[in-house]
Amino acid sequence: MYAWKCWRETRASFIFLLILSTVPALLVTLSPGLKEQNGWWHFDSSEYLRNPGPTSQLVSIMVLSVLWPSGFLSAVFLGATAPGSEIESGTIEYLWTRPRWRTSLTWTHWSVCLAEMVTVAVVPTYLAAAILGTLTRTWNLPLLMIAPWMMVIVGVPMLGLTTLMTALRRSAKGGLIYTAGIVSVYLIVRQLVTVPLHLNLPPLFAGPVIWLMNNKPFVPLSAFPWGSLVRAVLLAAALPLAAQYLLKRAEV
Amino acid sequence: MSEAAIFTEGLSKSFGAQAAVAELNLKIQPGAVYGFLGRNGAGKTTTMRMLLGLVRPTKGSARVLGLDPAKEAELMCILERVAFVPQRKQLYGWATPAEMVRMNKGFFPRWSDDGAAQLAQRLEIPMKTEFKKLSIGNQSKVALLLALAQEAEVLILDEPTAGLDPVMVDEILRTLIEDHVSQGRTIFVSSHHLGEVEQICDWVGILENGRLLLESRLEEIRQEFRLVIASGEGLPAVSSTNVVSATTDGRFRRYVVSREAERFAAELRGQGSTILEISPLGLRELFLHLVQKEEPCTLGNAGAKPAPVSSFS
Repeated sequence: MYAWKCWRETRASFIFLLILSTVPALLVTLSPGLKEQNGWWHFDSSEYLRNPGPTSQLVSIMVLSVLWPSGFLSAVFLGATAPGSEIESGTIEYLWTRPRWRTSLTWTHWSVCLAEMVTVAVVPTYLAAAILGTLTRTWNLPLLMIAPWMMVIVGVPMLGLTTLMTALRRSAKGGLIYTAGIVSVYLIVRQLVTVPLHLNLPPLFAGPVIWLMNNKPFVPLSAFPWGSLVRAVLLAAALPLAAQYLLKRAEV
Repeated sequence: MSEAAIFTEGLSKSFGAQAAVAELNLKIQPGAVYGFLGRNGAGKTTTMRMLLGLVRPTKGSARVLGLDPAKEAELMCILERVAFVPQRKQLYGWATPAEMVRMNKGFFPRWSDDGAAQLAQRLEIPMKTEFKKLSIGNQSKVALLLALAQEAEVLILDEPTAGLDPVMVDEILRTLIEDHVSQGRTIFVSSHHLGEVEQICDWVGILENGRLLLESRLEEIRQEFRLVIASGEGLPAVSSTNVVSATTDGRFRRYVVSREAERFAAELRGQGSTILEISPLGLRELFLHLVQKEEPCTLGNAGAKPAPVSSFS
């Protein structure tokens, strides 16, 4: 029942995020074929067959560019509905007097949000891949195939961070502000120390997406940012565990 | 002897230096309807929260239906068998009462669909309106509906009728008496409306600054408790253990006596004071005398700290 409540509560955000990512992905995918003639737009699928390889590559990168912020947004906005957010809103007394372990409530919410995040990442990307494959008649689209999973890898630690921040701040707004603050401060500090001091701080756990954005999917696996991936996986597990620990001991 | 429905022993909770509940000993028998009274901030809500695992005690222990709410596994059993209406009746703003009923049903194996439907009708709850769009009164009714349809063995109700109109208050009290008290369920209710408490409760406990000032059967209060007003110069110390409370008011001293008021008055007369009045006490008068007293005084030590003689002059 709690899973239904999580779904019902995040349903509007989920649909909004799905539209927010699907519509631009479709527009970008169809953009090479859109032509203007005498003030009218029409679609010419033959454009995709002139240079199918480069077109696929270019469209894939464009799709990824428009999609990856939605991975971040979905993680943050869905995470802000975590059980910790119910402390300030006052519904926690209701929730925590249901015969369910607080640990199970935390992880049920996390699982529902993860499923929604995966959907938000997979549906527009694979829809774009299906359209692109059909139009170019080539199904060699490695970038689009792995892109959603890289976005999920980045998104899951963000989901965990927001879950933890809502537990710490005991509110959705507090969770959102602190998550955005932590990420912004880190990025600013990273930028500040990188240029003048020539220090290269790790991009937290965003390495896989940056690697994809830099258009290097075909370089040897040794060039893959494994460190970033390990950090992402560790944070993905550690942050919700920390939230679970806090909420299990919280008094309201 | 049957196990107490609610039992606390030395239960205490402090928030920093502030003691919210101090050394609370309660023993509420199954089937009792216990009115838990006190001013705002007396510690009623904190006590209820400790019983439901929402707050951890600083000291002491509690048992609900023989189970310890401090242990998570036992808490789950308590929550399955206990219904709670919190003071702040906040539910999900996006949900309609019908959705809340569907959701709540999944949590409780003994949930009564018929009971929920009947209550919705009796309490005139608009079941298809979002919770955030309901009036405060209707929001309270939804919280009550969810608790009552649980068919719980123990009901813990924190100011359940706050924000309701008198007709609805009457309806809810009738529902509690007809559907729950008559079935031998235990009700632990806090309220500021002493008339309601008198209507449904058979036991009362009065809490002040986290301490239990008085615990008694309501019937005993009606039959035995008396207010004794005495006046006189240089009143001597009072040593009777029957004095629940003693307050000074100018030249007068008021005593709340739990039994044998005549004998106590005779004792005072013998010590040189004039008895102005011996009158029975209602719950309201008793409550006001206990919580508005000028001089701290607990059961059994009424004579320990008499008001200074100068205060009578």
